[in-house]
Amino acid sequence: MLHILEPGLKTTIQDTGRFGYYHMGVPPSGAADKYSFLLGHALLGNPPHYAGLEMMLTGPVIEFHKKTVAVLTGAPAKAELNGEAIPLWEPVAVSPGDILRVGRIEEGIFTYLTVSGGLATPEMLGSRSVCFASGFPGVLGRKLLKGDQLPLNEPLPGVLRQVGKSVPEESKPVFSRQLDVHLVLGIASERISDEGLTGLLNQEWTIHSESNRVAYRLHGGRVRYKKEAAPFGSGSSPGNIVDIPYPIGGVIVPNEEELIILLNDGTGGGGFVTTGTVISPDISVLAQAKPQSNVRFHAVTVEQAFQLRRQKELFIEKVKMSVQQA
Amino acid sequence: MLIFPETKFDFCGDEYIYAEISKEMRIESNFKAISITNELRKRNIPGMIEVYPSNASYLIRYDPNAISPHHLLDYLQEIDQQKSDRSELYFSSRIIEIPVWYNDKITKRTIEKYQHLQPEAEGDDFSYVMKANGFTDKEDFIASHSAPPYFITSLGFKPGTAWGFPLGVPQRQILQAPKYPSPRSYTPSEAVGIGGAFTVVYPSESTGSYQLIGMSAVPVYDPGQSLPLFQDSFFLAKPGDLWKYRPVTEAEYYNIREEVAKRIYEYRVKSIEFSAEQYDEEGMRYISQLMEGF
Repeated sequence: MLHILEPGLKTTIQDTGRFGYYHMGVPPSGAADKYSFLLGHALLGNPPHYAGLEMMLTGPVIEFHKKTVAVLTGAPAKAELNGEAIPLWEPVAVSPGDILRVGRIEEGIFTYLTVSGGLATPEMLGSRSVCFASGFPGVLGRKLLKGDQLPLNEPLPGVLRQVGKSVPEESKPVFSRQLDVHLVLGIASERISDEGLTGLLNQEWTIHSESNRVAYRLHGGRVRYKKEAAPFGSGSSPGNIVDIPYPIGGVIVPNEEELIILLNDGTGGGGFVTTGTVISPDISVLAQAKPQSNVRFHAVTVEQAFQLRRQKELFIEKVKMSVQQA
Repeated sequence: MLIFPETKFDFCGDEYIYAEISKEMRIESNFKAISITNELRKRNIPGMIEVYPSNASYLIRYDPNAISPHHLLDYLQEIDQQKSDRSELYFSSRIIEIPVWYNDKITKRTIEKYQHLQPEAEGDDFSYVMKANGFTDKEDFIASHSAPPYFITSLGFKPGTAWGFPLGVPQRQILQAPKYPSPRSYTPSEAVGIGGAFTVVYPSESTGSYQLIGMSAVPVYDPGQSLPLFQDSFFLAKPGDLWKYRPVTEAEYYNIREEVAKRIYEYRVKSIEFSAEQYDEEGMRYISQLMEGF
């Protein structure tokens, strides 16, 4: 069991997401920085769908009530086990009564705690991830609170051998205030003028403070629509389309001076011109970016998108192999 | 006749394919989207993670490590061609009554707070939409909005949010509204909104960009499954259902809310078989026949 002594700013249970209900308006949820989260599981030899904790900006204080192995990954944070500093990206053995304290997250937004065997908290619609929009009961519908007690599964065989291992430096994510984000253009791009597409790709965008796990808002550039009538049924503004199922990562242009990029707590069903989709590895990067960070967009083909995805997958596979060889 | 333009397919990032049946809202595009996605769901293809019908389009999420995106695209194009046959466009469905307090005081309070987002509406979405559609009398506008049944074309946005499109109304008479230029950060639960040609009931508190014209007295989402109609699903709406809005007074609104709170409210529901073919051929006459006794 994990006993939450202090909950931190916004600590939630996350796995890789809830699938099959997006068409009923249920967001996928799941770890915002899926890459860091999966590296944690890889380091422990956990299957990728296991649940862990996502900690935002200020971490929690947690007492372990089980002998197991845990690892912190994601945004750099000051972390202590029984008052002694411990590094991120390195599995540590813990015993009943051990107290983990995760402090302020300086660069980036989210740090992850994964534990061997994963959390044994309840599932709803096939996932343990919290969903704030849903009205689900208990920890499925809210952030963790002081006094929460989260059951843990049994640690997996051989996991003690992972203690002290790490991931190669090259596979660790970089936390920067200057981001390069790749997108595949499409969906309703034809409603954006040529000048508008240039504006999207050649200007620097700044992440607005009103950004969260649902969506990031960006300002600073300008994307001009084509001067043509909106199609029947969409509303009357040149930024309207007949409502579509937005993909996660969808780059929405609600007006000429704002971009909205949908993250894991986002849902489909919206009627603003959407001009492309951020590739999945870059959604992890974007979700870790602090407000006021600057973003440059790069258009890629779908083939290039798969290559970039593959690079990240190979990093995770390398860590998995090093675990299996132990 | 039901004739479809060629569907436009797009890769979206590395995990989605988007299919646009038509750019403009045509109810037959939605019949086709529902028909294709029903078929895809039935086939249960490995690697297909989400199958999402929408108003005039649909979205597929897939795992590119389990299924080749190019093979999937070919497969979708094949089904798209097969499903242009109107005899396929047939659904078991329900007509459900939604009592609405139009031009209510609850949404008014919200609208006033967000007046800065669209100054042209002068803090009154109801009158803004009414005037934009050429009405001067509030009761006439309410009668016009609540007359047709609204076909549930898709869900999305927040758990249980369903888009309703009026059936049997000539296109030039369909009520329409612009959306807020930038979304509100709050909308009360069960507010009735209109955006483009669609009407929605907000299932829970949320952001929103539709013009708010009333309050539904009944919930459309019940994850606790406390009301009998929600025993099989958290969601009142299913794509293909018909919703009929019934204008109620402030007093009726609060009487129904009490029944809902006591969990004794019974929704008025009629089961029907909906045929797109018959709707195409008979139009309004077919709708009146479906609505008989309701």
